[in-house]
Amino acid sequence: MKKIPLRANNSYIYAVLIAIIITVVPRIASAQAESGSVGTGGVEAIFQNIIDVLNVLIYFKIGGENGIPFIVLWLIAGGIFFTLRMGFINIRGFKHAIDVVRGKFDDDEDEGDVSHFQALAAALSGTVGIGNIAGVAIAIRMGGPGAAFWMTVAGFFGMSSKFAECTLGQKFRIIKPDGTVGGGPMYYLSRGLSSIGMSKFGKGLGVLYAISCAIATMGAGNMFQANQAYAAVSNVLPFFENFAWLFGIILIAIVGLVIIGGIERIGSVAGILVPVMAVIYTIACVWVMLVKFTSIPAAIGTIVTSAFNPQAIAGGAIGSIIIGFQRAVFSNEAGIGSAAIAHSAARTDEPVREGIVALLEPFIDTMFICNLTAMVIVLTGVYADPNSIDLDGAQLSAASFETIIGWFPVVIAVAGFLFAISTMISWSYYGQLAWAYLFGDRTVNIYKVLFLLCGFIGTIINLDLVLEFSDIVLLAMSLPNLLGCFLLSGVVAKELNNYMTRLQTGEMLAENEKVREPVLK
Amino acid sequence: MSWLKKNSVLIPIDFSELAYEAIAPAKEFVDTETALTLIHVLTPLHPADPAAMWNTLDNEQRKEKVREFLAEKLVEMGYQNVKIKVAIGDPSTEIIDCAEEMNADLIVMPSHGRKGVSRFLLGSVAERVVRLSPCPVLILK
Repeated sequence: MKKIPLRANNSYIYAVLIAIIITVVPRIASAQAESGSVGTGGVEAIFQNIIDVLNVLIYFKIGGENGIPFIVLWLIAGGIFFTLRMGFINIRGFKHAIDVVRGKFDDDEDEGDVSHFQALAAALSGTVGIGNIAGVAIAIRMGGPGAAFWMTVAGFFGMSSKFAECTLGQKFRIIKPDGTVGGGPMYYLSRGLSSIGMSKFGKGLGVLYAISCAIATMGAGNMFQANQAYAAVSNVLPFFENFAWLFGIILIAIVGLVIIGGIERIGSVAGILVPVMAVIYTIACVWVMLVKFTSIPAAIGTIVTSAFNPQAIAGGAIGSIIIGFQRAVFSNEAGIGSAAIAHSAARTDEPVREGIVALLEPFIDTMFICNLTAMVIVLTGVYADPNSIDLDGAQLSAASFETIIGWFPVVIAVAGFLFAISTMISWSYYGQLAWAYLFGDRTVNIYKVLFLLCGFIGTIINLDLVLEFSDIVLLAMSLPNLLGCFLLSGVVAKELNNYMTRLQTGEMLAENEKVREPVLK
Repeated sequence: MSWLKKNSVLIPIDFSELAYEAIAPAKEFVDTETALTLIHVLTPLHPADPAAMWNTLDNEQRKEKVREFLAEKLVEMGYQNVKIKVAIGDPSTEIIDCAEEMNADLIVMPSHGRKGVSRFLLGSVAERVVRLSPCPVLILK
């Protein structure tokens, strides 16, 4: 029996991908040559149509033209609800969260794959992306400096939503025969709701979630990353300005090698470099703040006053709130449910404990890193300079840094590229799980090809389209997810009270405080 | 019916009840349980799976865990000497490779599996096994 036709199984993916690129690229290249601009009319027109439909379905506004989109209201309501329902867990759980991440409660005997710290890091690699550099700039460009204030508020409430969804992710996970963990919204929606007698409804929501997740991973965690990575890189390498398609191919080739080729090494290299870049980025932000030290009070003043009294922003303060919340959720995924997938792999027998670890995520991502970027942008004042009105996203952030540290756009380009790769890899994982939930494991290669194609399209079409599409499909995930979390909030609250009682009475000791058998040396 | 007796029968298992139910009819074809081999095919870990990211669970460990799990299940079902194999990759490819390697005389598996869109796109594992198998395949309905 010949093995060749069987072995061809995997290579057909490459063949399909290469064929599509070969047919698409020359058209894009010629379209670019004709118009001289980035992007192509055809692809953009198709996307505009998709967005228009989605707009009507999900993004309809309550309260007229300048009202709040329903989906944003839904997320705000979610954050406030869980903060109140869980008794400000985002504040009272904070210190315990740090203790847990430091490993004080790790127990190797518990089921699961990774430690609390490792689970948090894995979730963060999907969360901390180029959105932390570019998203804030977009928020300030659209909503004024006040949007940064509302991002912080959204991050604060988001900590509670994140707590609820990750607790549920742990509670209703399954440990498969091979030791891997199956967890996340698909599981807690179907299994969780079934446990409170809503079996059919839960299954329906699980499927709805999987559908929205598979689509959404194409946007925020993919096209947006690719688009802004291109913006950051072409900013320092003008060569790429007329070769967006080339950049797209390079980017998806690298991501493809990891997710289809199984070359994990690239993934782990990116995984090591991303924290390093995050540290360098933080240092640079602090550096800018030190240089502009005397202006810090004024900058904070600007952010806070314009949060309540924004000028020249469509929709006034409401507009600023909408933009702030939208960009915050885009960045920290609170209420979206995706992080619960990574957190459910943590080694623990206490669901609440991992939920508490997870609430650190919006704090690190939004309240800390995004605020650093916001301070740099506001302190340097580039956003308000009439000469740089065309700059948006990663390029606005880069220009802001450039006024203080001339070579910093290069770092932003490198960091942006790496952030984009690691975030795309993480999101392809979330999307693949959703796809497999719907269609089974065998067809995930179809998903991977679609994912790479979308990443490619993301580099060649303009930011506005990418952002509009990514926003709508990402926020759509919160519909089934938060609805399920609302219905299961009683379960979470009960678990939390039980946990906190045991923690406070000292019934549950940190692992190193437990009395151990004396070890004879 | 001794001319029907087989020396080696392969039973792909996907942990579904239907798959386990294939063991009994398969046993009809052999003299001893040792002629039966179960195979389970694992999907490769995604590089962003936390376990892969931190390298806390490698493929060997995953295989070993599945072997233990199946061994326990077999004892529960009253089988003592059925062999167990675990592979990683595409199910139909691995099943056929395994059948070739062990010179299987027969593969027994249920016909159920994926439905809807992906069935239309790729067909079921059973269909592919039937098409490419080096030996006769018994599909249970």
